[in-house]
Amino acid sequence: MSEKPTIFQMFLSALAAMFGVQSSQNHTRDFSAGHTWTWMLLGVVVMALFVAFVILLVTWALSMAGA
Amino acid sequence: MTLIGRGLALLGLILSPSAYAEWQVNLMPGVTEISRAVYDLHMTIFWICVAIGVVVFGIMLYSIINHRKSRGAKAHNFHENTLVEIIWTIVPFFILIGMAVPATATLIKMYDKGEAELDIQVTGFQWKWRYHYLGEDIDFFSSLSTPREQIANESEKGEHYLLEVDNPLVIPVGKKVRLLLTSNDVIHSWWVPGLAVKKDAIPGFINEAWTVVTEPGIYRGQCAELCGKDHGFMPIVVDVRSEEDYKLWLAEMKQAKAQASDAATQDWTLADLMEKGEEVYNRTCAACHQVTGEGIPGAFPALKNNPIMVAEPSAHIDVVLNGKAGTAMQAFRDQLDAVELAAVITYERNAWGNNSGDLVTPAQISKLKQ
Ligand code: HEC
Ligand SMILES: [Cu+2]
Repeated sequence: MSEKPTIFQMFLSALAAMFGVQSSQNHTRDFSAGHTWTWMLLGVVVMALFVAFVILLVTWALSMAGA
Repeated sequence: MTLIGRGLALLGLILSPSAYAEWQVNLMPGVTEISRAVYDLHMTIFWICVAIGVVVFGIMLYSIINHRKSRGAKAHNFHENTLVEIIWTIVPFFILIGMAVPATATLIKMYDKGEAELDIQVTGFQWKWRYHYLGEDIDFFSSLSTPREQIANESEKGEHYLLEVDNPLVIPVGKKVRLLLTSNDVIHSWWVPGLAVKKDAIPGFINEAWTVVTEPGIYRGQCAELCGKDHGFMPIVVDVRSEEDYKLWLAEMKQAKAQASDAATQDWTLADLMEKGEEVYNRTCAACHQVTGEGIPGAFPALKNNPIMVAEPSAHIDVVLNGKAGTAMQAFRDQLDAVELAAVITYERNAWGNNSGDLVTPAQISKLKQ
């Protein structure tokens, strides 16, 4: 079962880490194969996406408030 | 009294109806649109918390009672449940968003700095407030007016103990009043719960706050930033009046100012100055230099038997008018008028056995003030 996760699965795992909940099945899978560097890079990318999302959200909220 | 006796006495105090007469534990709804919005927000969030509490403790209590050991309950031994974990993460997320939306709406309303009809500069001092009505040439200090005997427990405490001032901030009802807050010495904070205004007054900065009060009346507040020895003795009183009464007050203030400058040109006797000086001293200087003139060693110098008091008066006048930079001794040049300054200096030079016999006249001070 301990196959290498696909990029999409890794992306989902990064999101799950941000959310704070992960199934132990995926957890085992993610830790049994792959490189640390891929995860770190993915972490930075997901954080950047999150920051961009927050900026968009705030811009939208401010435009709703008429600022 | 024994420990039990004391405990019973305390219990009696807690249970007596008089202890409840003034009981208000909740936030007050206040008298402005903003204060009511803040109150509603507070209540909304309070009830959300109550609901969460009821659910959480309800489940807990139910589990404790119905799954107790004596009934033969066996603990489930499992490690994870992704679904439940997701639910207990998402539910608080939505609860928080649900609180943040109305809170942000209220905050945005509070920061609306649109045109005000009256601008007042509020300056914090150790330990009093100064109100300057911009464009009206009205500028006065507002200090604690609770008598010293009440503070020293020598007489019964009044109804508004430590929440009363000599000159309240007077504003018209229904008008948008903008407050420009700053400080002369350390950080203070101008706080009036009834208006839901609490804003720091910081030296070198100007903070803005505003209010539109919808009901005439007297609203009381306090300095809300620990600012030194008399932090608890610099209350705020806001006197909200109808438009006409406010106009009348403005006219009275202007007249009083004209009269004060007349008084400065009159002749004053030593006895008159001493009488006025004692009143000014006890109100303005005694917090630091003490009623006895003995000061507090290491903090505030004694004025009694101080060589300055019998030497040539100019040094004494200079320190009172201009203060000592970098110390708690403020410049009283603008805080007091010429008569008050002359009176307090004359008083210090002749009270407590200083007996210099010097009379410093208001005319002398008027010249120096220009
Ligand atoms: C907030 C506290 C405070 C208040 C209020 C205050 N003083 Fe002072 N005063 C001081 C301190 C502190 C000094 C000492 C300054 C220094 O270090 O030289 C001082 C010094 C003086 C001195 C000079 C004494 C000396 O030996 O050099 C005189 C005179 C004086 N104050 C008069 C007054 C008068 C008059 C008032 C009221 C109108 C007043 N003070 C109010 C704190 C205060
Ligand atoms: Cu203060």
